[in-house]
Parts: sequence; C-alpha cells; structure tokens
Amino acid sequence: MKTKLKAIAAVLVLVTLLAGCVGQEKAPETKTIFIFGSSGDAVRLDPADVTDGESIQRMDNIHEGLVEYDGGTTNIRACLATDWNVSDDKKTITFNLRKGVQFHHGFGEVTADDVVFSFARQYDSSNWYYDKGEWAYWGYMYTDIESVEKLDTYKVAIHMRQPNASIMTSLAMFTVCIVSEKAAQQYGEDYFKNPVGTGPFEFVEWVKDDHITLRAFEDYWRDPPQIDELVFKVIPDPSARLMALQAGEVHGIEHVDPKQLDIIKNDPKLQLISQAGMNVGYIALNCGEGYVDANENGKWDSGEEVDVTGAFEPFNDVRVRQAIAHAIDKDAIVRNLYQGAATAANQGMPPVLFGYNNAITGYEYNPQKARDLLTAAGYPDGFEVVLWHMPVSRPYFPVPTEIAEAIQADLAEVGITVELFTEDWGTYLQDTEAGKHAMAMLGWTGDNGDPDNFLNVLYSQDKATVGSAGNIGFKKNPEFQDLLNRALLTYDQDERGALYEQANKLLVDQCSHVFIAHADQNLAFLSTVHGYVIHPTSRKFFYPVWVEEEGGAGLGTLFVALLLVGGIVLRIKRK
Amino acid sequence: MAEEEIKRRTRIQDVTRQMRKNKSAMFGLGLLFIIVTLSVGAPLFAPHDPHDVDLDRQLKPGFWSDDGLPGFYLGTDALGRDLLSRLFYGGRVTLSVGFVALGFAVGMGILMGISAGYFGGAVDNVVMRIVDILFAYPALLLALVVAGTLGRGIDKAMLAIGIVYTPQMARVVRGAVLSIKETEYIEAEHAIGSSTWRIIFKHVLPNSLAPIIVYSTLMLATAILDAAALGFLGVGAQAPSPEWGLALSLSRKYLVTGAWWAATFPGIAILLSVISLNLLGDGLRDALDPRLKGGAKL
Repeated sequence: MKTKLKAIAAVLVLVTLLAGCVGQEKAPETKTIFIFGSSGDAVRLDPADVTDGESIQRMDNIHEGLVEYDGGTTNIRACLATDWNVSDDKKTITFNLRKGVQFHHGFGEVTADDVVFSFARQYDSSNWYYDKGEWAYWGYMYTDIESVEKLDTYKVAIHMRQPNASIMTSLAMFTVCIVSEKAAQQYGEDYFKNPVGTGPFEFVEWVKDDHITLRAFEDYWRDPPQIDELVFKVIPDPSARLMALQAGEVHGIEHVDPKQLDIIKNDPKLQLISQAGMNVGYIALNCGEGYVDANENGKWDSGEEVDVTGAFEPFNDVRVRQAIAHAIDKDAIVRNLYQGAATAANQGMPPVLFGYNNAITGYEYNPQKARDLLTAAGYPDGFEVVLWHMPVSRPYFPVPTEIAEAIQADLAEVGITVELFTEDWGTYLQDTEAGKHAMAMLGWTGDNGDPDNFLNVLYSQDKATVGSAGNIGFKKNPEFQDLLNRALLTYDQDERGALYEQANKLLVDQCSHVFIAHADQNLAFLSTVHGYVIHPTSRKFFYPVWVEEEGGAGLGTLFVALLLVGGIVLRIKRK
Repeated sequence: MAEEEIKRRTRIQDVTRQMRKNKSAMFGLGLLFIIVTLSVGAPLFAPHDPHDVDLDRQLKPGFWSDDGLPGFYLGTDALGRDLLSRLFYGGRVTLSVGFVALGFAVGMGILMGISAGYFGGAVDNVVMRIVDILFAYPALLLALVVAGTLGRGIDKAMLAIGIVYTPQMARVVRGAVLSIKETEYIEAEHAIGSSTWRIIFKHVLPNSLAPIIVYSTLMLATAILDAAALGFLGVGAQAPSPEWGLALSLSRKYLVTGAWWAATFPGIAILLSVISLNLLGDGLRDALDPRLKGGAKL
C-alpha cells in the first residue's frame, strides 16, 4: 500500500514538473543559447596579450576597439571612436570617443583614461601594468606608435614615430581593444581571467579545457544581441566536432575538415559558410642568412652573418630552391588533400589583398625542369634533406602529415630524398624560429588585411632574427626590405599596391619559400542559425547571429519525461 | 606397439603433442605464421610499392566496390597508396618493434630476475625496488613518458616498450628462480662444489624457461599493441612509415567521411596479430606450465 502511494506521489510530482517544463518552453522569455564548437581552449582572455585564434575568438565578442571592420571586409568604420582625423604630417591621429559607452559588470563609462591605459600598458615601461603581460603583438605591429595622449575626457591622440599607412587597419585588431582600467586595478594580474570590455557579450565563466560562457550585455551601446548566452565549447577532434553539430549539441563549428565538406553540403540540417581564406601555407627553405638581435631593436647587432643551425648548403643556390618549387605538384595537393577547398599559391600573400601581383604565374609543376635545374646546380643525383611538418592541423595546412608525405613523394621523383620530422607544436614553433630546420612547413593567417602583415612579418630581412624569426627562410634581401619600408610611408593605396606588387615579384624570384596554397575558411552551422558574417581574417563576431526557434523541443522533453515516469513506475511495481 | 609406449618422450615432444591437441592454440600459431610470413616476405607478396603516392587515386575502395581500382584489393589510403601493400610492410615495422622490445625486456628481465632471485639479500632488495618503482606506473603511460623523453622515432619506441616490460619479466624470472633455488638438485650441485655460473646457466636458467616462454608470448601481444598505441599517439613510428598504429591514427579522420577501409584494415591487422599471440600464449601456458593455468597475474 505504501509503495503504491509513493508511486502515485512520484508520478504526480513528475507530471507537475513536466507541465512546468513544457510551459516554460513556450514562454516568450526563452533564453536563446548559442554554442560554438571550438577546436581548442583560449589561452588568456586579455586582448592585448594573446596571439592564438582561439583566445582571439572569445575576446572579439567581449571587447571593442576605437575602430572596427565593416561587416565582412577589412575596411574601417567607427566603433568606440565616433570620428578621427589625421594631421598633415600624418604623425598624429586624433580620436573623438563615443559618449556614454558602458563597461561590463558595472565598471562605468569608457573615458580617455581607459583608452590611454589600454595602449600605454603595452609600450610604456613606467605604466603600472606594463610588467604584467608580454604584449607580443605590440612588438609585431605597433612599434611605430610613440605614445597615446589624453586630450580631454572624450578625446585622445595617437602620436606616431613615423607615418605608417597600415596603422588604421591595425587599430581594428584585438590587440588595441579598450579594456577597463578600473577592472585591471581590481583584478591585477588576474585580469586575463576576468575580462571587462564594452562588447556585445560579457564574461560569465571559464571552465578550463571545457567551455567559456558569455552572456548578452544589457547596456550595450548598440541594440543588445539576439542571443542571450554565447558558449564556446572545446572539441579538439574535427570528427567529434562535426558529430556534435549533427546531433545539435552545438550550433556552429570551426575548422571543418575538408573531407567533411560534402557531408555538410548534403545535410539539409546543416549549412556551410566558406570564403577564400586570408592565409598562406608555405615551405621555408633555410638559406642561413639570419642575424642576432640581442638588444631587440630590430637591427643587426653587427654586420656579420651568424650561423643558423639548420642552414642547408644546397639551398644557397637559387636553382636548387627553384627546382624544389617546380617539383611539387600543388594542384594535385589542393585537389586531393584540401579537397579543392583552397587556391594553389604562387606568391607569398593571398589574392584577397591589394598588392597581389596578378602577373606572377609562379613555378609550374615540371619535374623535368626541376631535374635540369638540379643538374645545373651540381646535384644531378639530388641530395638528402629533412622536411619538418607540424603535428597539428592548421587553417592553411588542414592535413600537414599527408601534405608532407605528398611533397616527399614529389621530391623523390626528381631525386631528392626527403626524411620527415615532426615534434610537439609549441617546440616546433620555437625551433623553426631558431632556424633549426632545413625545410619546414609553416603558414600565416592575416591579422588586419594589410599586405605588410604578410610580406614584412614572414619574408623581410628584419624578421630573420635567429630565435624569434618570422622569416624562417632566413634569406636577406635589402631591395625587398626597402620596397616594404617605402610602402609603409605611402598613404596612396594604388601607389602602395604597386610597391607591394614589385616586392611580391622579388620574393617569388628569390624563392626562399615555396608557396603551397591559400586555404578556404570553412565554418558549419545548423541551418536554424542566421546572420553570421564570415570575416576574411578568421576572426569571429557573433553579435549579429540569431537562432530560429525549434518547434520540436517541447515534444522531445515531453517524450523523455514520459519515459522517466514510466521507468520509475515500473521499478516501484517490481519491488 | 609396446615399444612405442615405452619410448621415452622428451619434454619438447611432450609439449608439441599437447599443443597439437589444443585447437585454439594451433589456430593462433597458424594465424601468426601467416602474419609473419606476409610481413617478412612483404617485397614478394605486396602487389605495389607501399610508398607509391598518387594523389589522384586517393581513398579508393577495394574489391567490394565497383569504384575500386583493379589491383588495389583493399583500396587506397589518403595519399593513394595501396593499403594491402602498406599492411604487409607495416607488419614488418609493428612486429619488429614488438620483437625487439620484447628481446630487450627478456634480456634485461632475465639479468635482473636471476640476480635478484639467486643472490637475494641486498641485490634482491635493490633490484626489486627498482622494479616496484617502474611497476607503479601504468605501462602505456610509462612508455609514453620514456618515448617522450627520448624523442619521436621507431627506435625510441622499441626502447621505451622494452623498458616498460623489463620489470614484469624480472618478476617472472625471479619467482621461478626462487623456487628452483630451493630444490634438491641445486643443493646437490652446491655439495659437489659447482661454480655459481655453472649452476645458473646449467640448471636455474633452463628450468625457468617455461614461464619465460609463456610470458614472452603473451607479452609480445601487448608489446605489439603498445607499439601501435605509441604510433597512434604520434611518438612511435613517424610518417611515412606504414606502421599499423600510425596508419590507424592518420586515417581515422576518414571514418566519418565514408572511407572506412583506410583505418579499419590496419586495426584488423593489429587485432589479428594480438589474438593469434594470445591464443598461442594460452596454449603454451597450458602445455608448459599447467600450474600457471587460471592466470597468474602479469
């Protein structure tokens, strides 16, 4: 008798709960949660102190800068600044700040002090926050900024050491997003775990290696976002990510494996968003012309050449380098290993950028020509060399091991015996920066849509510093450097473009890098997701996204609950 | 007829007879024989060069499908290489890692086990504490740490697995030595003044062979599994080696895209070799050392 009563009670309670659930499902104030399947966790949540795509992806939805990209382009529009003007000598840019913009979590209004703090902490060693971060990107791209000055509460000026035509696009980057000085004071070194910005979403929680939750910021200066909660869920395995999407556990995923493109295209419940990516994957041939820069001023310490550990003697001959370029069948690699989701590369930067040289045809696949070049260079029987490939898939090299194996086979065709080598990704980056490789696969995804961000960072002699090299081909070319320097002082877009086109030609001729491909950027979403605008820099902004309501959810819950009730009743009966 | 019954059977004949009766053991032996033959004779049996890359015939199915290419019986992998040929050549790598690692473990294990078991006292204490320390870690984790420290590569994987299995072998040998040491014939040897070396090599070692052989066979199975696991985790064999674990690891991403064969066949190869060794090992245990039946813990 007692058990019977219990059973009835249990059923009653459950049915009541159930009714509650179903009722809530239909209520208008339903919380919209958007879950994004990321390939890795963020490292830090301080926009000025991150370099990896995963961290940037979170930051971009929490923070905002003075200016921002206009939709899916790399053109600039106003954001926290309403307008700006450039002085005649092009060395001072004055910004008027938007009034009344609030920081998250009640940290007050954005003022010139916050702007100055956000910049000064990265370059001014007397700033109280300077020693709390590494500020890597500042060194990469902002060293031309001399200082940032507060003119009044809503006005700041950026003073430049020299004119730099790429600075406005750089100002739309995450590195110079505005953070709250008050929050930095409150959290100190732990700011990176408690970010406070002005963006559409505010930070809620971070469960390491699992997820980061953000929620809509009610006092956002534009209309609040249409999703109430934005969750970044970490799913490292590409297959697992796709399965999570198919199961509806996440609403969107990044870094879609090229092999999965057809599955997504053929699934009516999914949509694929693709774009020619702003990236390049290349093989650097170590020519050994690095330099040491102990005092880190970007100049040689002495005029002498230094030993680059991995420098490979045959690569001193441009004919050998060109032979390698001729020997690799890029089209086959693009067709079969990128599944066609890429463009074969013939120069060092992607075609979406201005300054891309359409006249360059690159080195066509021609094994006979490669053999002839090798013979002319004195290597009729080829040689042995080690090719480094990364252990993780990157946007520009989705399947690096397979690509390396394909290149190995191509080079074997012309008599070059290639041994493959790989190591832990972090160590790989360090070792290639230190020039320990002979041939290494690496690549780059553009930050700001400026050619300088490719040509200067990856191929210039100034960046051939052993130990922190961006140019891991270690080839010095003063003429190339000179063109880049001149381009930075030229504000006329066409003139600048012409200079970069010349530079691209020089780079291809010297052949210190063999360019493989520019991979498409692929994202997949449920077809109920709308409004996402893909960005060429791979940055992800979820502000415009909205999710269609699913009708079946209530019924699903009902079904599961009924099963539960049934199960409980059965269990009690058995007793 | 009577003569035959009286005829004294040697130990080996005895074991062979027992093994013949054991069907599953014979099945294991046969399977192992086939696997080893195909691997060792890979250049003879493989229909294609295992390193012959042709991107335009990538991930083609095998005999079961009309889309398959003639001559590529199990299909091709992501780089268009013949899967069957790669399995044969991969067997050479995977099996040799297993055998070399096992050889190392047996050699070191006998050395450690005999010195600990026979000499006892302080030697026993020191050796067995080292063994205990190594035992404290899960085998694969220890192998990963060792391989990680030594660096990537097949030779390092061999050494890593060898080190991991040494303590197990040392324990087995020590146990055997301890019991043999107490027997009367050893006492007799002592009495007639035989040298220590003579006692060890003439009596102790030959008499401990039974458990060593049994455990070696079973250990070989797990060593092969570990070799594949290290390859899978990226610290063992390196591309473009056709090693089974590596092949499995690199091809598993094609499982969801429908090209199931690229990962499935290396997996089956690992499975079959492990099963064959386990069946053989069980049979050998029954035949050689019935006391061990019921499973002494490794």
